[in-house]
Amino acid sequence: MKQNPSMNIKKRKKKVTPKRAVTATAKYGLFLVYGLISIFPTYWMVVNSFKSQQEIYADMDSLRTFLPTKYIADMFGSYVNLFNAFDLFGRAIFNSFFYATIIIILVLLVNSFAGYALARFRFPGSKVMMTIIILILIVPVETSVIPLYTILYRMGFLSTTGVLGPGLRVVAYIIPAIASPFYIFMFRQFFLSIPKELEEAAKIDGANRMQIYFRIIVPLSRVVFVTIAIFTFMGVWNDYLWPQLLFTDEKYFPLQVFLQQVNNHNPKDISMVMASLTISTIPIALVYIFGQKYITEGVAFTGLK
Amino acid sequence: MELKSQKLSKEYFRFGKKTYSKKESIIGWSFLLPAVILGIIFIITPMVISLAYSFTDANLLRLDDVNFIGFDNFVRIFTKDALALKALGNSLFFTVVVVPLHLTISLGLALLLNWQKKFKTFLRWVFFSPVLLSLAVVSLLWINLFNPESGLINALLTMLGAERQGFLKDPDQAMICIILISAWAGAGYQMLIFLGAMKNIPASLYDAAKIDGANKMQEVFYITIPMLKNTMGFVLITMLIGAFRLIVQPMIMTGGGPVDSTVTVSLYIYRQGITFRDVGYSSAIAMIYTIIIATVALSLRAVFSKGEMD
Repeated sequence: MKQNPSMNIKKRKKKVTPKRAVTATAKYGLFLVYGLISIFPTYWMVVNSFKSQQEIYADMDSLRTFLPTKYIADMFGSYVNLFNAFDLFGRAIFNSFFYATIIIILVLLVNSFAGYALARFRFPGSKVMMTIIILILIVPVETSVIPLYTILYRMGFLSTTGVLGPGLRVVAYIIPAIASPFYIFMFRQFFLSIPKELEEAAKIDGANRMQIYFRIIVPLSRVVFVTIAIFTFMGVWNDYLWPQLLFTDEKYFPLQVFLQQVNNHNPKDISMVMASLTISTIPIALVYIFGQKYITEGVAFTGLK
Repeated sequence: MELKSQKLSKEYFRFGKKTYSKKESIIGWSFLLPAVILGIIFIITPMVISLAYSFTDANLLRLDDVNFIGFDNFVRIFTKDALALKALGNSLFFTVVVVPLHLTISLGLALLLNWQKKFKTFLRWVFFSPVLLSLAVVSLLWINLFNPESGLINALLTMLGAERQGFLKDPDQAMICIILISAWAGAGYQMLIFLGAMKNIPASLYDAAKIDGANKMQEVFYITIPMLKNTMGFVLITMLIGAFRLIVQPMIMTGGGPVDSTVTVSLYIYRQGITFRDVGYSSAIAMIYTIIIATVALSLRAVFSKGEMD
């Protein structure tokens, strides 16, 4: 028994009284009900992706529908069928990773440069730029989708006859996704927290601004770079509206757009649909599991502002 | 003395009322330039063009032949287009119902989890799990679960002896379904924001309250919730804007139907601009929509950050 007074308070709180028993039951009851509501659709999606279409429908009139497949040897059948039935499914996964990689690199480079300029330099326009950035954050993105489409059309990005053919739209997809007022703002706030003295010392040693940026600022800002990389990955991976408008050739569809091809295919195979949805969710789940620390910090940052 | 002022004038220049270093300005602007160019072309220009288009008869198929038509588009929205007003009504209905629901679930879960000791991490993952699904996955999953003939939910209802429902195929139920799905899909994220903010509340406040004899309920209402004011303001603004922007779920699950019961403003803007190619009219609706969102966002921001803006 510890004699710490604060421990005593806790000890007293733990005593079971009828009132506490009722609150605890109510609390766990709520956890159970909302826990089931939270998890059952996703759980059902994953479990049923390992069944065949016949088994899914056969199980659906009983609670067997929530149990794993009876045919363990054949559990990856719908996944194999999915890749066989849709030759471009693998390509769509590749496309999504490809777009995400290129966009992440450019997003980090362009926005961190701008954030650095706004955090460290005094020049005409730097204050105005911050105001513009805040204003842009308020205007909803959807209103720009159609005008953006007309601009890309005017710039010739939507032509299908050039050297790149319909692949030109890949460029049209990537370039507008780079500049982000929000990320510039995030970078700036982070860079402001780095002491200036470190840069002054390097300046005296004769380093130029680029060297200072890459050798001092970037290594010290790993957290914000990783956080923004993760956010960008999730943004590109989950993006649906803009790519489904832009891409007309199936070969360039990112996964989110291609999922609809699987769902709308006639005749529909529900086990393949569930398999495709499960595959689409795996990278995001992995990012959340391994990037938890960074995501929590990023979420906290967005929550502060 | 003369030499020094000469040096000054060479390395510095005046702009407006202030003096700037030339070198610093050039380097600063070069770091900023790529983002500014991309921002001007792909963020600012579309906004400006959208405003300009709203006063024209621009058509997606003949963008070289655009005529100024004054306020015709705006008059059409409010006098001749019942569907535009219905879309506005649908979006408002969605927002007004989903935001309180979403806020209650996420704040409630966060409050329950904050003092939870057993299974805390496990429960947090369980409640957070729907956030892992993208909007497209959420929509495609639920369209199958809600399928009136072969979906799981009707199968479960049959097991319970209840009547089968039309769900997304029923004009009276479709929007409700989308509301429930959206709250289900999003609440975990705001729960995480609230939990993060609750962790930052100093323990000394609770200790002081305990010494004063406050019970748990009083702690929640007199310490936790007031301390969350800023976070709550932010979450509320993003939720309201997010809700008013609803487009992907109805686009995939219902296409706006049945009987236009799930046409939202965003979806209608998209439909007018892309499906009917009426870019001018679509832009005019987009302007109204921007004004509504900006007004709500700015006034809420003012309410929640009285004297706290940086």
